[in-house]
Amino acid sequence: MTLELLTDLATPITRGILLGGLYVVIALGLSLVFGVMKLINVAHGDLVIFSSYFAFFAMTSLGVDPILSLGMSMPIMFGIGFAIQKYILNRSFRVSMDASLIVCFGISLILENVYQIIWTPLSRGLTTGYALKSFAVGAVNIPLVYLLDFIAGLAVMFFLREFLGRTYMGKAIKAASQDHRAAILMGINTERIYGFAFGLAMAFAAVGGVCLGLTFPFTPTSGPQFLIIAMGVVILGGLGSMLGTFIGGMIFGLAQCVGGYFFGVAAQMLVAYVLVFIILAAIPRGLFGR
Amino acid sequence: MSQEMLLRVNDIDVFYGSLQVLWDISLVVNKGEYVAVIGANGSGKSTLFGAILGEVHPAKGSIGFKGKDITGLTPFQIVGLGISLVPEGRRLFPDMTVLENLIIGSYTRKARSRREESLGRVYKLFPRLEERKKQLAKTLSGGERQMLAIGRGLMSNPTLLIIDELSLGLSPIAINDIYESLKQIRGEVTILLVEQNVQRSLKEADRAYVMEAGHIVLSGKVENLREEERIRKAYFGVKN
Repeated sequence: MTLELLTDLATPITRGILLGGLYVVIALGLSLVFGVMKLINVAHGDLVIFSSYFAFFAMTSLGVDPILSLGMSMPIMFGIGFAIQKYILNRSFRVSMDASLIVCFGISLILENVYQIIWTPLSRGLTTGYALKSFAVGAVNIPLVYLLDFIAGLAVMFFLREFLGRTYMGKAIKAASQDHRAAILMGINTERIYGFAFGLAMAFAAVGGVCLGLTFPFTPTSGPQFLIIAMGVVILGGLGSMLGTFIGGMIFGLAQCVGGYFFGVAAQMLVAYVLVFIILAAIPRGLFGR
Repeated sequence: MSQEMLLRVNDIDVFYGSLQVLWDISLVVNKGEYVAVIGANGSGKSTLFGAILGEVHPAKGSIGFKGKDITGLTPFQIVGLGISLVPEGRRLFPDMTVLENLIIGSYTRKARSRREESLGRVYKLFPRLEERKKQLAKTLSGGERQMLAIGRGLMSNPTLLIIDELSLGLSPIAINDIYESLKQIRGEVTILLVEQNVQRSLKEADRAYVMEAGHIVLSGKVENLREEERIRKAYFGVKN
């Protein structure tokens, strides 16, 4: 499956948009934590990969389908996220923001090394029966997992929007991100809200990890690569805008796939980043930034 | 005194790091009263309120509310007990609508079940807020922002409503409107108010405390304070 063989631009365009869904899932978790706590969680990519390995373990050792493994990994990762926030980050916030950033770097390094010890540096993939299937719509050939990525992106975005808009907990998360002191004065236990927001971001990371493992092969050090993509997507869309993140993900996927079509697979990430660079040079706040 | 004591600040000292900002502050607010704290910028009024809400903890002394010691409790616990602070500068949630701001005001468990009732009360008090309920808070005028901040503070059904710098930055008309509205809730809610507008607070309140450089230098009924030479000199520009 090389992109050079594709004669029609319709295929890379469709694939790019669908693949964007994966980046949206990963980026929404990153931007949720950034929006609420003003923390750049540099371990986000590695935590996404945790879910990829968890699904790999569930598939190879327990015989559980990767998508079904989300039933286990989402609550587990929510719990891990809540615990990281409650026992580590809430304490480091009291020291300084720099301390929290360093903690995240530490978590990232620890995870990458633990993955190497347990699963070796070899490349792994969630090769299920359907992971390699594709279907054709007219002349456009679409891998099934790309469609899954897109559905996951939509689902996570709609869930997050409804959650933030309709529940007291969601409103409290929004309030804390807009004015921390005022949120406290409303009777909101902001440290608990932080734990919940981080847990939620990790539950999204679980979804992202499974989609990632179905779409691409991964290694213990794949995390930072996807962290950087997610950062690009968040900044491209504009900080604090959910719709921006969604569009940003699509643009990034498009740039990657269409860029790959014209300049070869080796240059596809280069094309994507150059595009991010150009857009930010023109609109420094991002597409939907405030 | 026959009245029921609601808030009692008992001889507190407050430090920021090694810098002392409050000295031996004692203050009492009785149920149903309207009490003003007046003083110049930097006299420690906001710090005093921060201490009452548990944002800073006193190094010495204690704070009691409804007969219970609340020294050392966290702000969200204290808000849950029935104290609501309308902070200086309003501190609204700018990218939320007026309605969302009000709803988040009823976040505490007790307040949630009475949300619709509180909302009706706030809309009756400030009809302007109902007209603008779908607007983002950042699009409101200064007076409307203060109305929203007070309305949001009332949404938690507080026993004690503390308002920090009510008239700061508002037009005289807006200030009048808000003071008229406050008259409507007197009696239902106990009010503790900070003002730089000394004349106004001495007109509206029952009692007042005067702060200077972290100390309370005067206190008493407003009719007596109005006659105090120190106040006349400092705040009304009366020369002897």
